[in-house]
Amino acid sequence: MVEVLDAKGLMCPMPIVQLAKKFKIMKVGDEIELLATDVGSKADVPAWCQRTGNELVEAREENGVYIYRIKKLK
Amino acid sequence: MSDTKKLVIVVSEGTFDKGMMAMMIANTAASMGMEVHMFFSFFGLNLLKKGAKPKLAGIYRLFTGTFVKRMANVGVGNFSDQLTMALDLGVNLYGCSTTMELMNVTQDKMVDGVKVLGAAGFLDLAADSDMQYFIG
Repeated sequence: MVEVLDAKGLMCPMPIVQLAKKFKIMKVGDEIELLATDVGSKADVPAWCQRTGNELVEAREENGVYIYRIKKLK
Repeated sequence: MSDTKKLVIVVSEGTFDKGMMAMMIANTAASMGMEVHMFFSFFGLNLLKKGAKPKLAGIYRLFTGTFVKRMANVGVGNFSDQLTMALDLGVNLYGCSTTMELMNVTQDKMVDGVKVLGAAGFLDLAADSDMQYFIG
């Protein structure tokens, strides 16, 4: 089971701020699943991953919820 | 990232919308691993005072409460929440030394963690930065 970070209902920039906070305490190689309803996250999350050098393993949408699987690389 | 991107922001207005906009951009940048420096001058300095509760400009000030409520509902919170978040994320906050003198604002009247800087000191930071924003 991958840990889930639930950011549903939060608007920009809060999902990204929460994601950054979470990554600070994660270990390299760990993965999480971020859940968001902010449509802006579709661009924000890939941009964050690229900027911070972490891997966006998968991005999908289920019933209006955007789900991102992200792996900590550094 | 091998080279850390550096963002500098000048905030010269103290209204809720401008303060929030600046803080949200700064907190996003810090969350993306960027180094952020914010310079508060003129009415922007009021945002750094302890217990600051900025309002929207002009007649819109009457709707500030509605805005704050709606922003709290989506997790953004009020101005003070964003300010605390900025300090937590390591955003550098500077009060303009001349404005402090003009408006009789001493360091003890500002939130803890705020540094005092002159224009030359700020330009020195800006000269080596990658992005420069002016919110006014």
